[in-house]
Amino acid sequence: MSTNNFSTVFNFLLFLLTFVPSISAVGSPVNIWPKPRSFVWTTPQAIPFSPSFTITSPSHPYLTPAVNRYLRQIQTAQYNPLVVPAINFTASLPLQTLTITVTDLAATLSHGVNESYTLTIPSNKNSATLTSETPWGAMRGLESFSQLVWGNPARVAAGLVISDWPIFEHRGVLLDTSRNYYGVEDLLRLIGAMSANKLNVFHWHITDSHSFPLVLKSEPELAGKGSYGSDMQYSTEDVKRIVEYGLEHGVRVIPELDMPGHTGSWADAYPEIVTCANMFWWPGTPEDRLAAEPGTGHLNPLIPKTYDVVKNIFTELTTLFPDTFFHGGADEVVPGCWKADATIQKYLAANGTLSQVLEIFINSTYPYILSLNRTAVYWEDVILDGEIKVNPSILPPETTIMQTWNGGPNNTKRLVSAGYRTIVSSADYYYLDCGHGDFTGNNSIYNQPPGTEQGNGGSWCGPKKTWQLIYNYDITYGLTETEAKLVLGGEVALWSEQADSNVLDSRIWPRSSAMAEVLWSGNRDERGMKRSGEATDRLNEWINRMVRRGVKAEPIQPLWCIKNPGMCNTAKAA
Amino acid sequence: MEPDSLPNAVTLLRHNNRHYQAAITTIRLNHHCLHHRRIPSPLPLAQLKKFLVRQHWFPVIGQIWHVTWRGNTNGVAAMTVFNPLCPMMNFGFGGLLHRTCQKPNLLLQSRDKQGKKEWLGFQIGLLGTVKSPINIWPKPRTFVWGTPQAILFSPSFTITSPSHPYLTPAVNRYLRQIQIAHYNPLVVPPINFTTSLPLQTLTITVTDLAATLSHGVNESYTLTIPSNSTTASITAKTPWGAMRGLESFSQLVWGNPARVAAGLAITDWPIFEHRGVLLDTSRNYYGVEDLLRLIGAMSANKLNVFHWHITDSHSFPLVLKSEPELAGKGSYGSDMQYSTEDVKRIVEFGLEHGVRVIPELDMPGHTGSWADAYPDIVTCANMFWLPGAWEDRLAAEPGTGHLNPLIPKTYDVLKNVFTELATLFPDTFFHGGADEVVPGCWKADATIQKYLANNGTLSQVLEIFVNSTYPYILSLNRTAVYWEDVILDGEIKVNPSILPPETTIMQTWNGGPNNTKRLVSAGYRTIVSSADYYYLDCGHGDFTGNNSIYDQPPGTDQGNGGSWCGPFKTWQLIYNYDITYGLTETEAKLVLGGEVALWSEQADPTVLDSRIWPRASAMAEVLWSGNRDENGMKRSGEATDRLNEWINRMVSRGVKAEPIQPLWCIRNPGMCNTANTA
Repeated sequence: MSTNNFSTVFNFLLFLLTFVPSISAVGSPVNIWPKPRSFVWTTPQAIPFSPSFTITSPSHPYLTPAVNRYLRQIQTAQYNPLVVPAINFTASLPLQTLTITVTDLAATLSHGVNESYTLTIPSNKNSATLTSETPWGAMRGLESFSQLVWGNPARVAAGLVISDWPIFEHRGVLLDTSRNYYGVEDLLRLIGAMSANKLNVFHWHITDSHSFPLVLKSEPELAGKGSYGSDMQYSTEDVKRIVEYGLEHGVRVIPELDMPGHTGSWADAYPEIVTCANMFWWPGTPEDRLAAEPGTGHLNPLIPKTYDVVKNIFTELTTLFPDTFFHGGADEVVPGCWKADATIQKYLAANGTLSQVLEIFINSTYPYILSLNRTAVYWEDVILDGEIKVNPSILPPETTIMQTWNGGPNNTKRLVSAGYRTIVSSADYYYLDCGHGDFTGNNSIYNQPPGTEQGNGGSWCGPKKTWQLIYNYDITYGLTETEAKLVLGGEVALWSEQADSNVLDSRIWPRSSAMAEVLWSGNRDERGMKRSGEATDRLNEWINRMVRRGVKAEPIQPLWCIKNPGMCNTAKAA
Repeated sequence: MEPDSLPNAVTLLRHNNRHYQAAITTIRLNHHCLHHRRIPSPLPLAQLKKFLVRQHWFPVIGQIWHVTWRGNTNGVAAMTVFNPLCPMMNFGFGGLLHRTCQKPNLLLQSRDKQGKKEWLGFQIGLLGTVKSPINIWPKPRTFVWGTPQAILFSPSFTITSPSHPYLTPAVNRYLRQIQIAHYNPLVVPPINFTTSLPLQTLTITVTDLAATLSHGVNESYTLTIPSNSTTASITAKTPWGAMRGLESFSQLVWGNPARVAAGLAITDWPIFEHRGVLLDTSRNYYGVEDLLRLIGAMSANKLNVFHWHITDSHSFPLVLKSEPELAGKGSYGSDMQYSTEDVKRIVEFGLEHGVRVIPELDMPGHTGSWADAYPDIVTCANMFWLPGAWEDRLAAEPGTGHLNPLIPKTYDVLKNVFTELATLFPDTFFHGGADEVVPGCWKADATIQKYLANNGTLSQVLEIFVNSTYPYILSLNRTAVYWEDVILDGEIKVNPSILPPETTIMQTWNGGPNNTKRLVSAGYRTIVSSADYYYLDCGHGDFTGNNSIYDQPPGTDQGNGGSWCGPFKTWQLIYNYDITYGLTETEAKLVLGGEVALWSEQADPTVLDSRIWPRASAMAEVLWSGNRDENGMKRSGEATDRLNEWINRMVSRGVKAEPIQPLWCIRNPGMCNTANTA
């Protein structure tokens, strides 16, 4: 959580502002998603742009492209709102300049970087201003500015002051590009839309048991043999493009090469370092299963060759991905897979345990990650798994971050109470793939007599996580104030068993927008009441704007609902 | 035992559910069996070895193997071969492996602990599951392909066909598709490629060129593609059957340069005559191009009815020349309307694709959008839908308004609408709506209140409406289709005697198979759109605003996530549903078919394709050729790989169907199965 002095000052300002008469947040004629922390707009007005409108900004390798992008967007978008804002149009003073001032131009995009900004658009001057601590805050402000623009000819809301900064520093989307492949254009579109939602972390779950699409110069065979094909790989140039694109949009890219489980695809290049690869995943009872789902294979921690390969990979990953977070995976290590290996069998026969095997793996890789100046992120399983887990003492909280996905708020509490900084991706709330049935074949559960309770339709984590469910979830639920400070933020996750390029946009949007707002400015109104009802109309408009920008977000209501405000509610508004 | 006297699959299965340990001494192929299993025969042992190496099977000889299988008299359900000392060498599969060839195709000779030689038989991966190397969706009724081969197209390949206003455009379309598609399959069919005789002509013969596209029209066809002749042929009773045959032909084409499966004969015809998709274009608007893409994809799936739920309470997008104010005031805007020309284009496109277009202007409920033009004929319009208790609701969901049956003006408008609809839509089916008539809405009207005060009932009000409109529908030479509510609703319903089964068809959506039975046992021909199986919008939560059910403390059971008809209806659920479940043979004959339905509260053009496909494909196959294999077993397991390939082909044709599995699954046949086979 953001607890620096800066935000304390703003909290105080916000306190003062509550005494200033202003347009009620409920029903502002133009809105920004996620809703800003403070938005003072006493007399809503709108002004046109001068034909020679420009944005002046300090030169910066990533801010400058962003400025150019937003300038182009303002000039060409001509956004047509679902509900035309009922605002007095002041034609007298067209806007000539948006002036950006950045205090600390050298701040790099990394966890905790200051993203605050102040945006002022007067109605009686031809110049608007955007001030921020960092270039990344300026990008957030530019996005807000762009959402205040609509119409043809374009006009912008005026007579307003916005002061804005996020509640949580880590606001991300996880995408799995192993189970199904996504083209680079898909990933860029995702990052662009994330930036529009002020999300700042793209957690790229690049590889898994199903395919290894990442081309590594140090280990070319991994993608050469383990990808779905030469047309379904990410080259070094692709990665560079994605990372650069992220920087130009204020979105960090955190790579995850899941391991030691979920590594079946490595076996095509290195069969000797992967146990139980390419075996039928469920030969008998659940206890004997070789993987959590079809697609078997775990790295073998007892073979030196494993670390030769892994270290090559780690070294190259740090050159590809500048971010200081490094995701080490470590979820779903399944006993059956390691037990199928003769070397490990021998180790177990000599009174070793599978947890010790995992500790060997962690002890052989974790220090190497740290040596590369990276902070390691692991899935919670590494210390919370019921069967195979390491002693937390080998993963000091100072240099380790945990990501939770099981057990809802309970596991968040277990992690933070153990002292770990934690990223929340609870499957109960943040898994965007849930609720679309199951993908395993030839499964008799699909064929039940009529009248049988359909349960979750075969989805292990169903039902579908609706935008309202996501919006209403408090990721610090049940934590003490001290514990809550260790929650860095959250990530919605799209696992790709039943997703690919065709459904990417509609699976991600607008549900990620729901999380984006909650992690940026919360899910409660000024009176402390949950505001998902009030957010509905705003989200409709935001979906429409995203669609106009080429992001095929899923609709949440009939168009009729926003055209007839309040009429689609369940209880008549007070 | 020598291979030729090997136990057949059934004998092998007498050893069900056993674990076997053996040292493999020899591997051999059962060539005879391979031939019958449509595998290139003889398959060189080298090729098999290559395959086995790819599957990490080698070296096989000399190793100790654990062999486990489960199954029943229908076949082996799951089998794994596992070598604990060499775990890389493992192979397994789920899925029934049996039938066509009664003998296994891969033979492993082993010695047991007593040193006794024994042959084990397997049907494996590439050689394995009962499948044709290239498939048509929906699977044809009979598909004889003795020796799978493929032939190229001559550069001057043509399709000859009798001239016909709708078949001819279809022929041109398929010819173009064959020439340019260059479909790249997920799994390249392992078929011998015969280059000697490129295909020169596909000849179409139609017996009854005059047959119109209407319910029950003959859609059968026979497609023959010889491997030793330059001519293939489609014969059909009607142009519409020829279109089905053309679609099948197009699905047998792949690659660059294009080639087509050969040495085959297909005889095909549907089980059910009515196979449709319902789309609601009122709650959210879809552009004409969206509807054309839908119809095109329906045709590719051999679906033949587009049930167009055009209007509802939310918007009235259909421009009617006789009643221009309805869309003029009731649509979402001038850019969200269907003009007469748009409708003509959609209907013509349907005819060129063998897809009937049945219009539904839902009434007397679901008519709030009519009130913008005619406030006087609509009760309770534009009111808040849920003023208090559920019993007092004014509509089944936000968006209120019912036509007022007690006002003559209502029928003036309706007769104009009906008359114009009959000119716009040539189909003889006419959907009269009649679902979800809600007491509160009519009770809110003064005229109706007066009628009720004089001991009238709401059901009588509905009877007045039906008696004033149904005969008019019939007079336009139309068969009326109504939602089941009209006779089954718990509160407001008509006496079935005013809707004779001879001229009335019912569409069921509630109560699963029970309501189907109620309707057919009352003598009605019935279309099945059970919300429990066929509602494609379900499982995506709810759209009402400001609803406290969305905000429950963590730990609360999430139920169906707020969706009244959740969970999401998966393709497997749809595939496994038998729409005549629980009916007698006589009753089942009254089931005309089914329609999946996409209601658009939470759907619009951005998600149209992925909501409809491939789930409508699942229904399409079941209604065309069933959901069971030759042994009467449900075949959704076997259908999975075929559906993956079909999704890929649909996507390549521009239809953004939703994926059902990781690509890995089809690349590794059987490996994504579960052992949960009954």
